[in-house]
Amino acid sequence: MTNELTFIQKHEFLLRRIHSLTGLVPVGLYMCVHLITNASILNGVEAFQNAVYAIHSLGNALVFVEWGAIFLPLLFHAIFGVYIAYSGQFNTSSYGTAKNWRYVAQRITGLIAFVFIVSHVAHMHGWFHVGFWEKLMHSLGLAQFRAYNAASTAAMAMQANIVWPILYAIGIAASVFHFANGVWTMGITWGVWISPAAQKRADRICAAIGVGILLIGFSALGGFMTLDAQKAEDIENRMYTESVNTGRVVPNAKKLTNPKLLEEQAGTAKP
Amino acid sequence: MIASNQPSVIKVRVKRQDGPGQAAYWQHFDIPYEENLNIISVLQKIAAKPITRDGQRVAPIAWDCGCLEEVCGSCTMLINGRVRQSCSALIDRLLEDSPSGEVVLEPMSKFPVVRDLVVDRARIFQALKKVKAWVEVDGYFDMGPGPKQSRTQQEAAYPLSECMSCGCCLEACPQYAKVEVIREAGESEEAYRQRVEAANSVAFIGPHAINQAVLFNSNPTGQFKKAERLEALTEPGGIQVCGNAQNCVAVCPKHIPLTTSIAQAGRAVTVHAVKKFFE
Ligand code: HEM
Ligand code: SF4
Ligand code: SF4
Ligand code: FES
Repeated sequence: MTNELTFIQKHEFLLRRIHSLTGLVPVGLYMCVHLITNASILNGVEAFQNAVYAIHSLGNALVFVEWGAIFLPLLFHAIFGVYIAYSGQFNTSSYGTAKNWRYVAQRITGLIAFVFIVSHVAHMHGWFHVGFWEKLMHSLGLAQFRAYNAASTAAMAMQANIVWPILYAIGIAASVFHFANGVWTMGITWGVWISPAAQKRADRICAAIGVGILLIGFSALGGFMTLDAQKAEDIENRMYTESVNTGRVVPNAKKLTNPKLLEEQAGTAKP
Repeated sequence: MIASNQPSVIKVRVKRQDGPGQAAYWQHFDIPYEENLNIISVLQKIAAKPITRDGQRVAPIAWDCGCLEEVCGSCTMLINGRVRQSCSALIDRLLEDSPSGEVVLEPMSKFPVVRDLVVDRARIFQALKKVKAWVEVDGYFDMGPGPKQSRTQQEAAYPLSECMSCGCCLEACPQYAKVEVIREAGESEEAYRQRVEAANSVAFIGPHAINQAVLFNSNPTGQFKKAERLEALTEPGGIQVCGNAQNCVAVCPKHIPLTTSIAQAGRAVTVHAVKKFFE
């Protein structure tokens, strides 16, 4: 047989296994950590700001971690996932079992998660921190997050337009379902749970994990929707001045909402 | 069953196709009702009097069957939209479940149609060859009796061995896409078969073949070919194509635990691939 194999065909097994693995680590694990970090807003502005300080203490290395450990694996999983989704043929109209519906839902929630994550990163982070791009994003009302005014900028971004919280609620629900169901299918793909009884037990555990993460995600969303952004900003500015003085935080105007105000403050606050 | 609401006729709608690659079309037939008919007997009645509902005489319908007791798998087709064996599909049961009172027959949608309800199932058997679904016992010398198998092992293997290669699991699998190669004018049978094999060889082997690989890898003599079977399972169109919809296990007429076999094979190929990488 003389067959010209495409790159994807030649490496199909490896690519599918990497796709499966990236769904769990780093992408799925990151999502859980991210939602839990966000839910720390329920412990107050200080708790959330401290968590963000910790992440941003990576400094210049942060961009490499973001791209190497999060964005690139996510983009691989998402783009290859779209390819997989289009290579299947839905047939729930003839075979309407719950498992078959979940097979369909896994693909649809993946697509929703893709759209959501692309717009979410644009909304908060802006994707690239280079001059002209940042200006463009700001003019579109995107790239709203400032790491040293973490809670207030997140809250304002969320409260700017009712469309955002709706998009976030749908996006979080889709991502969490996709993750929980994905962990379950992953256990079959890798042969972790084998017998029907074991698959059923694993199914319950995955469902419980999913419900738990969904609650965490929604409470974070609720927390930012109801936060008093002005009060939060005052707290953050006080924390910033203190943290710069103690050397905990490296001053960076781009991570602030109102850098001028704080420069003045820093000037007068010096002993 | 002497129900008073028995219909006087059985309405049958058949999806027909005159040859490979040609357009399909529907024909309607009315068969006088009789008790205890199955789909094959209905098809025989139509063959005896191939006249459609509007009185048109047509070519008899082509179909496949063999054992008539749900062990050969050759009579598999879509009956009221679902894949199953036509020999064991009883008209009285179908009418109970079908509100329209109509019986709809179609060829399987995942295999190339040869004619009417007959499809070319070569890909099913090509997949079995790919995973070497046999034990190697042929040779010039007497190899003596095979190793003993424990009772638990026999009991685990028996259900897997019941597969009749009917293709129900493949028809229902959302990851199993149809492969059809149209014969070119003047192409020899051999050249055509070669092209079909090439096209099939990179497409999904399907749950039935994964299950057979697991069966023969669990056999003490079959184990000699274990590594080759696992290798075949990771080739293009291998086990990685499965998307865990679990339709296969839901439709298998032999109730073979296909998704258990898929998970077992999934574990075995992972170990195999990691070992190979570090060897
Ligand atoms: C962003 C767009 C995404 C798309 C289009 C997508 C697509 C897919 C598809 C189609 C599958 C099924 C693969 C298969 O069963 O063969 C899948 C599996 C999976 N996805 Fe995603 N995904 C996306 C994002 C995510 C995210 C954000 C997460 C984590 C929260 C995630 C976690 C998983 C997991 C754990 C699996 C299971 C892998 C397996 O069955 O072996 N995916 N994804
Ligand atoms: S596994 Fe079941 S459905 Fe599939 S070919 Fe064998 S008997 Fe038919
Ligand atoms: S579990 Fe895999 S093989 Fe079975 S129907 Fe689903 S995708 Fe196909
Ligand atoms: S004729 Fe053999 S299974 Fe139906």
